[in-house]
Amino acid sequence: MRTFLPSFVVLSSVFLTAACGEETITRARVPKEAAPAAEAHGPGDGHDHGDHAGHDHAAAPGLKWTLPSGWKETPGTGMRLATWTPPGGLKTEGTVVSLPGDSGGELANVNRWRGQIGLPPTDEAGMKAARATVSSKAGPVAVYDLTSEGESKTRLIAAVVKTGDTTWFFKLMGEAAATESARPGFLAALKSLTP
Amino acid sequence: MRRTDALSRLVDALSSLKLTLACLALLMVLVVACTLAQVNLGIHLAVERYIRSFLVWWSPEGSSLRVPIFPGGGLAGGLLLINLLLAQFRRLELSWRKAGLWVVHVGLALLFIGEFATAMLQVESNMAIEEGQTKSFSEDYRRMEVVVTDATDKEFDEETAIPDSRLETAREVSDPALPFKLVVRAYHENAALSMGGAPSGATAGVGAGMSVTPQHPVTADGEQNTAVALVEPVLKDGKSLGVYLLSNGLGAPQGFIHEGRSWKLALRLRQYRHPFSLTLKDFKHDRYPGTNIPKNFSSLVRLKDPAAGDDRDVLIYMNSPLRHGGLTFYQASFGKDDTLSVLQVVRNPAWTLPYVSCVLVSLGLLWHFGVMLRKSLSSRSA
Repeated sequence: MRTFLPSFVVLSSVFLTAACGEETITRARVPKEAAPAAEAHGPGDGHDHGDHAGHDHAAAPGLKWTLPSGWKETPGTGMRLATWTPPGGLKTEGTVVSLPGDSGGELANVNRWRGQIGLPPTDEAGMKAARATVSSKAGPVAVYDLTSEGESKTRLIAAVVKTGDTTWFFKLMGEAAATESARPGFLAALKSLTP
Repeated sequence: MRRTDALSRLVDALSSLKLTLACLALLMVLVVACTLAQVNLGIHLAVERYIRSFLVWWSPEGSSLRVPIFPGGGLAGGLLLINLLLAQFRRLELSWRKAGLWVVHVGLALLFIGEFATAMLQVESNMAIEEGQTKSFSEDYRRMEVVVTDATDKEFDEETAIPDSRLETAREVSDPALPFKLVVRAYHENAALSMGGAPSGATAGVGAGMSVTPQHPVTADGEQNTAVALVEPVLKDGKSLGVYLLSNGLGAPQGFIHEGRSWKLALRLRQYRHPFSLTLKDFKHDRYPGTNIPKNFSSLVRLKDPAAGDDRDVLIYMNSPLRHGGLTFYQASFGKDDTLSVLQVVRNPAWTLPYVSCVLVSLGLLWHFGVMLRKSLSSRSA
């Protein structure tokens, strides 16, 4: 009895400590090509996620575009339909996303983009003042050109166009100088949009 | 005197054979109940509720009340362990004649301790790997994590992963690796996402146009929760970077740029990184000739562990797992026209205890049988 009790108490304490310990935050340095975000369980891979926000890209009314020479396009993952890469290894990148409906409205999206680069939200009047329009065969494309504050400036050029029940979002974002260099090519791609 | 009497009565009760039988009966009932409950709850939740708990609880439909209705496996097993050890020390004499029974009791005690240790320490995950693919992480198929990634570097991502248990309990999470804290506005273990409808509360990212409807978590085998977290990165000066809706149901991470650094936010299945990698060279799904009845599943993998100096091919097949680095890789499932293999990855520091226990019980019984046989033979010849 005397030898058994202390060892039982010690063993129990070890197990109870293991059971009650708070799970810790972990850190890892992961090579980019192996970054596994959603690779095995993204929408459309056969796993059932219920009523998720991903949607069937093929079912959305399609838009076509022509990229300027030197630009490269890679298929996107998840909600992103495509990634546009400008020539010259510039630190900026274009993305294409389409969502059903108006996705919260134009002002909400403009403020979302402003938030992405740390700018405060604006109002309806501020949005209208900032809006430029590019013509395309798919209709008028609203373009917003935003630059962050702070020492390392980020520039974000976002464009939105509606086709039927779908809203298409085109975005060029990266270092301010690189985005400036890629801007003409990005606008040329927007002008080439056809339904 | 009275106190001594009460204590000795308690010890008598705890070491009685009646308690042994009662505990064994309780455990049998629990095993049957757990087996039946697996149909609705799935194996993991059923085992957790019936076997790996101290009490079995019942909640009336639509009520948050919890009523204990039966002793759980932890209580019955724990009592049985105490009963076994007390009986051993009180009743069994320390002699060569009884040595076999001593060893049997130690073996049985180890079996209970092993199950207790497994319940506390075992971690299970999955590694889904396609032919030609190399992986050095496995995923927990029931737990989630919010991962904040500094994606500024061209070659590497710096990931900070916050387990879902923190999101369920904490209002805000901070870490020295992050220049902001994450304020947790809401966490749903399972929810349905849809466009439009009541606003989710998100002000940034794709969730700004979505609504969230909380659902009961699913537990059955093969079902997957769509977890949703509403998190708000807030800078040290109190400035908010927006409220983001994160979910494992959304394919791509969402992000923002702060002071020239690119940050991504995502909610995904919890990942366990390993200091070695497996490359799936070939997956085989053998069938009996002329039928579609599976005969065998096997995965030929290349194991590379630079730290241990390991670089070899290993064939994993049913009942023949790979054990490496404290982990066991079992062939569990497959998919994608037999080009994807799913390995179950188990970390259980106590995995040897049941084997040791079985050896001890067998040796003890053999010893005791030998002693009794010798006694019987001597009494016959006398």
